[in-house]
Amino acid sequence: MISRVADCCFWFGRYIERTEATARLMSVTRTLAMDAEMEPRQCWLPVIIVNGQEPAYLRRTAEHSMHDSTGDQVEEYMTWADDNLSSIQASVSAARENARQIREVISLEVWETINELYLWLESDAAQQEFRAARYSFYRRIRQGCQLVTGLLRSTMLHELPLNFIWLGMLLERGSQTARVLDVHHHALVLRERTHQVIETALWMSLLRACSAYEPFTKRNRGRVTGDAVADFLIFEPLFPKSITYCVCEALARFAVIRPPHEDGLPGGESQARLDALDAWLTGHAAIPEGGDIHQLLTHVVDEIAAICNGLSRELFGQVPVPASESAQ
Amino acid sequence: MTSLFESYQTSAGTYDELFEAPGVPRGGFQRVLRALGASTAEEFARCQALAEMAMLNQGVTFSVYADNRGTEKVFPFDLVPRIVAAPDWRHLERGLAQRVQALGLFLDDVYGPQRILREGVIPRELVLGAQQYLPIIQDVKPAGGVRVHIAGIDLIRDPAGTFRVLEDNVRTPSGVSYVVENRLATKRIFPRLFEQASVHRVDHYPSQLGETLRSVSPRDPDESTVVVLTPGSYNSAYFEHSFLARQMGIELVESADLFVDDDRVYMRTTRGPKQVDVIYRRTDEAFLDPEVFRPDSMLGVPGLMRAWARGTVTLANAPGNGVADDKAVYPFVPDMIRYYLDEEPLLEQVPTYVCLRDADRDYVLDHLSELVVKAVDESGGYGMLMGPQASAAQIDEFRARIIADPRKYIAQPRIELSTCPTWDAERRCMEPRRVDLRPYILTSRDGPWVLPGGLTRVALVPGSYVVNSSQGGGSKDTWVQKEVA
Repeated sequence: MISRVADCCFWFGRYIERTEATARLMSVTRTLAMDAEMEPRQCWLPVIIVNGQEPAYLRRTAEHSMHDSTGDQVEEYMTWADDNLSSIQASVSAARENARQIREVISLEVWETINELYLWLESDAAQQEFRAARYSFYRRIRQGCQLVTGLLRSTMLHELPLNFIWLGMLLERGSQTARVLDVHHHALVLRERTHQVIETALWMSLLRACSAYEPFTKRNRGRVTGDAVADFLIFEPLFPKSITYCVCEALARFAVIRPPHEDGLPGGESQARLDALDAWLTGHAAIPEGGDIHQLLTHVVDEIAAICNGLSRELFGQVPVPASESAQ
Repeated sequence: MTSLFESYQTSAGTYDELFEAPGVPRGGFQRVLRALGASTAEEFARCQALAEMAMLNQGVTFSVYADNRGTEKVFPFDLVPRIVAAPDWRHLERGLAQRVQALGLFLDDVYGPQRILREGVIPRELVLGAQQYLPIIQDVKPAGGVRVHIAGIDLIRDPAGTFRVLEDNVRTPSGVSYVVENRLATKRIFPRLFEQASVHRVDHYPSQLGETLRSVSPRDPDESTVVVLTPGSYNSAYFEHSFLARQMGIELVESADLFVDDDRVYMRTTRGPKQVDVIYRRTDEAFLDPEVFRPDSMLGVPGLMRAWARGTVTLANAPGNGVADDKAVYPFVPDMIRYYLDEEPLLEQVPTYVCLRDADRDYVLDHLSELVVKAVDESGGYGMLMGPQASAAQIDEFRARIIADPRKYIAQPRIELSTCPTWDAERRCMEPRRVDLRPYILTSRDGPWVLPGGLTRVALVPGSYVVNSSQGGGSKDTWVQKEVA
């Protein structure tokens, strides 16, 4: 498979996953803000932090002397802002632009779905829906992404390109879960005595943001505690948004892309690194007593970022392969 | 009977593709036109809107250069088909095959022994002075033996109903994806009408193209790797490049995906380099290989031309073909046909004055207000003077240009292009609009094959003669009727 095309597949998967995650996070946060009787800032700022946008966002709000913490403001920024590369609109455009470059690879149905989502988001109808029916606006975006994911599975050959798309999705998702958990955890630990009702509401909203509430209750029948939630989101091997699941599945996709026992194929370093991360997670298998979750999550986020960089260097053709060494 | 075509007016002195006279369909088209005309204006307008929406959602678009946001537009599509009767097509098919064969032999000769120049059939300075003549490939014989794998020959129809060749395109003719997509849209919107009409299919073009490309591979066709080379997703014809790759099930590559080692071409893949045997290139020649064409350019594949000259890779179409579709060489194509094939040309063309010749130039300069003047190295409807419609200032400007560089210009009488009924969305009725026709001819190792259909381009602006997509043109589905058994 052409390296540039693999790169587009990988990023297509990442942007679809990112779009869905952001849309879900918006709906969940709004519900939380209504239920939990918390300061708006406490509800909304984490959304910005999770997406790595805190400095840019605060600079922007300061420049325009806007509130930095109302829901509308944050939703506007995370949905439409031209200067926010992780806004929903930017992610959908990027997903679509990647898809456009690999139209000969993805199925017509997948292309039409992402193209229609993109065209809708550019239309006045989308603006109106955003103003009039915020929940259904985000729901429509989520469903567009979910339709793409389903069509990928049901209308494409399950061969290399799809494996690159899954690899991108899984790494993006693992990293999203780690960051969203880290931010929430951080916020809660810093508050000395949080009222238990609020704390429970916060953890439940985090679960919902990861579509994890119902699966969690099937595994944990007791109280929703921070440790139980963290344990579930990091280690539950059968939940598709847990870090362990994402890393383990990503490793399986990688093994299809690069059969580990065939000699001379590029990608060995990234594969070894992903393998090590998987082993490291398996080695922990539970949150260490009194252990530092922040450190653990930071390690996950850093490693996934390093693996993505390695992929673009080794597999996506950022450095040309000298032909005389390995030409067939 | 009320009909959408009831008030359709043909214009005097112009051939109409579907109507002999107002209210009188041409022989063999009655049934289709009765069925098509039976819908109301509202129904037709709705179908037309449906077709446009479908094309936008599917991304059947072209990019507009002038707009740096890379805006994509739908190539306007008109639902009224242009129909070609079976006997007309039989004639065209033979004529097109003959013409493309002669053009291929001409290129072999020009880049080989140059017999036709030595014998004075075509002026030597005219051919060797063409901007597209490539001296560096002199005596190179391409692998597979074919130079014009894909040709698009532009035809117009004069007031007598005679098809005439207006222009040859043997470099990178585009538009065939719209032929296939337009047909798909017509079939979806008028399923019953289409079934009745008994029309040749066109959707097998991509598989024929794939066969053609494999047939000219330097290696065993079944073992060969064929790719489509695109300038990238911002190119105006990107949709078509990706469409063809997708339909043929082969890789779409950009030049950065390819490299040359030991005079062989490889693509960079996730499992290391893989050798490429046939490249259907949709990039301009100037951006094929910076070693040869533009040393300052970052675009292209360094060493590609060396590999081609060694015969390790096939380029379709071959480099250097521009010397055959040069507008100043065009007047000599009938002579080529006689010279190489010893046959009379089957297709008429448009009388042409070559400004390089003194007598022709004098005539042209005296009759500028009656003629259409074209720069030989421009296309897309640019660099043209439409004498009968031009201002005095425009005519003076072209006079000066012709005197300064006569090799660069040719002139032709303006031919009244034929019209075809076309939906006018504003007036909500059928109006005559001018059309041309671009059929596609594939040449494999075994010879030419003509796609029974083609791109009908239509000037959507009332009274306009310019059908190019860049200048307000649209397209129509072209129905070639099957022979009655």
